[in-house]
Amino acid sequence: MITKINIGVSLLLLGGLYLSNPTSFTNSENEYLSIKEQQPTPLQKSIARGKEVYTDFCIQCHMATGKGNGTTFPPLDGSDWLKKKRTESIHAAKYGQKGEIIVNGKKFNGIMPPAGLSDEEVADVMNYVMNSWSNKTKKMVTVKEVALLKP
Amino acid sequence: MRSLAIFLFSFVIFSCEAQLKTNDAISLQEDAKNYSLETVVDGINNPWGMAFLPDGSLLITEKSGILYHFKNGTKTEVKNLPAVYNRGQGGLMDIVLHPNYAQNGWIYITYAATEGEGEGGNTKLIRAKLENESLVQIESLYKCGPNTTKGQHFGSRIVFDNEGHLYFSAGERGNHFVNPQDITRDNGKIYRLNDDGSIPKDNPFVGQANAKEAIYSYGHRNPQGLAKNPVTGAIWENEHGPQGGDEINIIKKAANYGWPVVTYGIDYDNSIISNIQQKEGIEDPVYYWAPSIAPCGMAFVTSNKYPDWKGHILVGSLKFQYLELVKLDGDKIIGRQKIATNVGRLRNVVQGPDGFIYMGVEGKGIVKIIPN
Repeated sequence: MITKINIGVSLLLLGGLYLSNPTSFTNSENEYLSIKEQQPTPLQKSIARGKEVYTDFCIQCHMATGKGNGTTFPPLDGSDWLKKKRTESIHAAKYGQKGEIIVNGKKFNGIMPPAGLSDEEVADVMNYVMNSWSNKTKKMVTVKEVALLKP
Repeated sequence: MRSLAIFLFSFVIFSCEAQLKTNDAISLQEDAKNYSLETVVDGINNPWGMAFLPDGSLLITEKSGILYHFKNGTKTEVKNLPAVYNRGQGGLMDIVLHPNYAQNGWIYITYAATEGEGEGGNTKLIRAKLENESLVQIESLYKCGPNTTKGQHFGSRIVFDNEGHLYFSAGERGNHFVNPQDITRDNGKIYRLNDDGSIPKDNPFVGQANAKEAIYSYGHRNPQGLAKNPVTGAIWENEHGPQGGDEINIIKKAANYGWPVVTYGIDYDNSIISNIQQKEGIEDPVYYWAPSIAPCGMAFVTSNKYPDWKGHILVGSLKFQYLELVKLDGDKIIGRQKIATNVGRLRNVVQGPDGFIYMGVEGKGIVKIIPN
């Protein structure tokens, strides 16, 4: 029993020491250098800005997990609608969405009011949503692509 | 070794997460369905506020910035409306008539406006008169500042008490660590003004250094329901919490309603906002919802048309898309019942001068409840 507690305590201490040393997360000198030298890509920058837009305008309904609530608010994480209907998705973020849609085989018939976002904010939040949780999209949403969409 | 660090680190992350404690004190009764619903005005995307004129016609605000006058079956767009900042939860919001409207013609409106310091917008209160389907004699009564481009928490509702004071709400504009607890700043507040916009001399913070003297109560998150209790004359309020922690409060002079020092809710990412739910010097809500229903609009039923509802409150649920009857015994909540199940995102509820209940429903318009 005592040995078990001892092991537990020493593990915790060890872990604590490990955490207090910031360089311990990078295994080798090479990795450290490569992280330092890498500049964020335009997509990464857009995703970072998009996260702020998401927290501000979307999270209340679509949740931090991107899973929605299963009844009135559709999921974004793993959404086939988002994947297959790129233009409609961007349009929804720009102008809102109303009426029946089918997401992953499930009917949703709600209203998403237009949030009044700028074209850049729409592009950013779409890049965040399309590259978060299990979602991955190679083609970046650009401000130009958003600007071309009319009501 | 590295995996151990990650393993331990995950505990650090998880320890900040919480599970919402639900409030099961009063169970929600099923819809009795002893009424029918009739859409009286259609084709309005977000009917935020409504006010009945003495001739029985209806003024309806649409969030994007349209004011409709619905008369004899047709809706007309009222002209000369000020420019509205339509972003996130802000836009054209509440509309209320002066208690002596028949004599003085004043109409009070809250909306999000861009004027003043800072980029973005904030809640503004005006009054105006309606002539030939146009707003005239527009007077600015209060503008919250500074502006921000944040999408959250503009409020806003307007109500008059029995002494001729006007109350209106402004949410904390997504800045909860800065605004709601500071009486030298706007937002996260209920304001009390005279009907001409001047500040009553007996407002609680009059004469305090740098205080916004229009403030009547503080520590609010996003109040979107205000109504006068017809029995006591007190102003009742409902406000949105985060995940959980929506509240019903009775508004008292100088009172602190606690956001974000205390809350029954947790944040959208399950992180803890506050570990305490009650504190000395902070008003406990009369009732709180957990999980949140997203309450919007509030009305006391005084009409004889609904004997089971008379003397109780109606609150709209944006999230669960029904009307909630909150049953009262004096100032105590004793029951809850569902009405208009699945009607749609319920933005507003009022009792008309004809005694009928009217709901503002997103994507529809105005829906009347007709008892069987």
